[in-house]
Amino acid sequence: MYDRSMSVRQAALFLLTMLAALIGSPLAAQERHLAIEIVPETTRPAAGSRVTLALASTPAPEWHAYWINGGDAGVPTTANWTLPAGVTAGPLRYPVPERLLVSGLMNYVYERPFAHLVDLTVPAGLTAGTRLPITLKLDYLVCTREICVPEKQTLTTELTVGDGAVDAATQARFDAWRRAMPRPLGAEARYAVADGRFRLSVPFPAGAELGEAYFYPLAGGAADFAAPQSVTREGDALLIETKAAALGQPPARLDGVLAVGEGRGFSLVATPGPVAAATGGAAGWGWGAALAAFGGALLGGLLLNVMPCVFPILSLKALSLARSGADAGGARREALAYTAGVVAVCVALGAVILGLRAGGASTGWAFQLTDPRMVLLLLLLAVGIALNLSGLFELPTPRFAGESGASGAFATGALAAFVATPCSGPFMAGALGAALVLPAAAALAVFAGLGLGLALPFLLIGFVPALRRALPRPGPWMRTFRHVLSVPMWLTAVGLAWLLGRMAGVNAMTLGLIAALGAGLALWWLGARQGRGRGGGVAWAAVALVAVAGTFGVPRVGAKAEALAEARDEAFTEPRLAALRAGGRPVFAYFTADWCLTCKVNEAGAIDRAAVRTAFDAAKVAVLVGDWTNGDPALGRFIERHNRAGVPLYLWYEPGASAPRVLPQVLTPSMLTALADQRRG
Amino acid sequence: MRHLIPLFAAAVLAAGPATGQQATNAPAGNFRLTDMTGKAVQLSDYKGRTVVLEWNNPECPFVKKHYAGNMQRTQAAAKRDGVVWLTINSGAPGKQGHLTPEGARAYVSGVKAQPAAYLLDPQGQVGKGYAAKTTPHMYVIDGKGVLRYQGGIDDKPTPDPADVAGARNHVLAALSELKAGKPVSVPETRPYGCSVKYAG
Repeated sequence: MYDRSMSVRQAALFLLTMLAALIGSPLAAQERHLAIEIVPETTRPAAGSRVTLALASTPAPEWHAYWINGGDAGVPTTANWTLPAGVTAGPLRYPVPERLLVSGLMNYVYERPFAHLVDLTVPAGLTAGTRLPITLKLDYLVCTREICVPEKQTLTTELTVGDGAVDAATQARFDAWRRAMPRPLGAEARYAVADGRFRLSVPFPAGAELGEAYFYPLAGGAADFAAPQSVTREGDALLIETKAAALGQPPARLDGVLAVGEGRGFSLVATPGPVAAATGGAAGWGWGAALAAFGGALLGGLLLNVMPCVFPILSLKALSLARSGADAGGARREALAYTAGVVAVCVALGAVILGLRAGGASTGWAFQLTDPRMVLLLLLLAVGIALNLSGLFELPTPRFAGESGASGAFATGALAAFVATPCSGPFMAGALGAALVLPAAAALAVFAGLGLGLALPFLLIGFVPALRRALPRPGPWMRTFRHVLSVPMWLTAVGLAWLLGRMAGVNAMTLGLIAALGAGLALWWLGARQGRGRGGGVAWAAVALVAVAGTFGVPRVGAKAEALAEARDEAFTEPRLAALRAGGRPVFAYFTADWCLTCKVNEAGAIDRAAVRTAFDAAKVAVLVGDWTNGDPALGRFIERHNRAGVPLYLWYEPGASAPRVLPQVLTPSMLTALADQRRG
Repeated sequence: MRHLIPLFAAAVLAAGPATGQQATNAPAGNFRLTDMTGKAVQLSDYKGRTVVLEWNNPECPFVKKHYAGNMQRTQAAAKRDGVVWLTINSGAPGKQGHLTPEGARAYVSGVKAQPAAYLLDPQGQVGKGYAAKTTPHMYVIDGKGVLRYQGGIDDKPTPDPADVAGARNHVLAALSELKAGKPVSVPETRPYGCSVKYAG
């Protein structure tokens, strides 16, 4: 009984197992690790048009599919099409991939849902309603971190020749897929392989946004795939450096994709050419460069002492030291305190710049001058110092220039360094530019060098008694000298007012000058009270009030000025273009992006030239600008329709003409004025 | 071995993953590994004979493609010419394709492979020393110990056995050129296949 029941149970189990195997095995054989859906952008493409198909793919959890270059392992996907006569398929286009480093081997992969895009050409002359069955056999590799499986899938879809209408939902899906495609950078990169290093220089405007950058080479022979890449921005170039490939010959043309973070990227072509090592970066940086930059900064700082912004402060300080007749120890203490003040402010400014850089902002030395409010404050400060030098009022405690004591010296130093920045720009650009690409510690050393240079003369006066003795004896002449010194300070104020006007418009400059007048009146009042021997608290409050009011006022006025400037070129939209053309006006449409260097060059060199604008205005040319910085899909589709994959694109619409003239990618002012003049003549 | 070449494997161990790229037309780094029978095998033991290194992972589809007959034929052809064939498995324990000595013996007899030795490199030292990236990944070393070829087995980077027919077998081509005293015309190619399943 027992035995029999066992055998029955075993038989049942066996049957169940068999059944499970029968059901399970075909399922297991068909189990795929990549779900692929073939999606046509329109199922009713027009005859004689191009229709895009997407292979919307979703890897199973833990699995990944490969980019066209799989990295150290992996194989590209191959597509075999079965198409109706006359229909042709382009190559598979791959979205920007991700990196997966496994045991020191690099894989360029997709671990998240992605889509290949491919363009099919539908021949002209097909009658509406013609059926176009499409069959695609895909061979691809999918892997986990552990195992790889080559898979095959046959995908089918059917198109019907029709009107090419695209429904909104499909359009939205394609917009997302197109955003993931690398966009052509539109400028040629250079690369060099030397001393076991691969260096790539990509034209990329200094102001363009950049996330985590990585260069995916399409082929081997140039860059090692697994080695980490260092990325440095130097002006309008992006330098990428890594280990050179150990095997193979560097190709004559290196294609690749520059990923810039968040799944976005640019396709580019690099040709061999000289590429200097990055002045910064982990590998190419040497103490030599840092020392040179430090020396440059030191010299520059020294030079700053004779600049109109600093000289008066320094002179006064030196004279006060001579006048006070302080003992040697006191002089040294003051000199050191002054130096500390100067260096502290220089390093602090440097640290702020480095911090902003690290945060992705594009800043440079004198960055505080890019904010009109800071310029206004500096303007008021310069006016205040000039009035003080002119003798309108005296500075009470806390002690400042002209007062002795360590704290006064420190404050004077800090003031000198801060006020010096507007003068330092042109002289310091080289050394400070270098500093910004050095590692943070070395960069701060360079900023400290600038401060040290600035403090050096006073340091010498403090430490060398002979120098102190050589200073002229104090006397009534010092009053006159002080008044004379107000002249360079007034010049500084004039310069700052001009800068304010340049930045935020004539209204903002006027507001700044009114604020300066207000501050002047308040300081005059302060001087009068001081003359009567009364406290200055109320007058100081008035000065502060003027400064605060001005600071609040300037950006508003300034913002309006900027908005006016930008409003000159209307944003491109297809309805607006159609409306302008219907109105019979010639239209010049240009498509640009912040990351497109060629675009910026063309704008500065041709489109924004006064001669061009005058000619355009005279011929009543409407100018439309399409900004593709963020990869707007609607603009992308429009650009593609003109057989361009990216920006720059320049279109000239003659009134009455059916199609625009596509202008060359390098514009000259004469080319544009000729187009406009032709309209008038 | 009269003069003891320091085993580069030890040095590579310290240097980390895939750092020991071997330069083509330069002396190939020596190594010592234990084969599936427990015997120690050293590359320098074969001085004077041409040596082929083959990186292997029995479960890799690309390896399976070539073990459908092509790899065995290539091994037989090499053997006829007196070439030493060393198959190396750098799969780490617990990873796909890792073999114990018994497992290796079963595999070699099962697929009727004819290597002079099937070497076990579970630490991946030799694999990383040669920068072996894929399975298969092939190396040809001449009688003077100079590396003459490294790369893929052929020029059809697919997992489909049907593609073997029209492909150029880079190893056979290199061997026949070496035999004729000619320089190897294609000394480097890009290997293809699964990534080597190193530890870590």
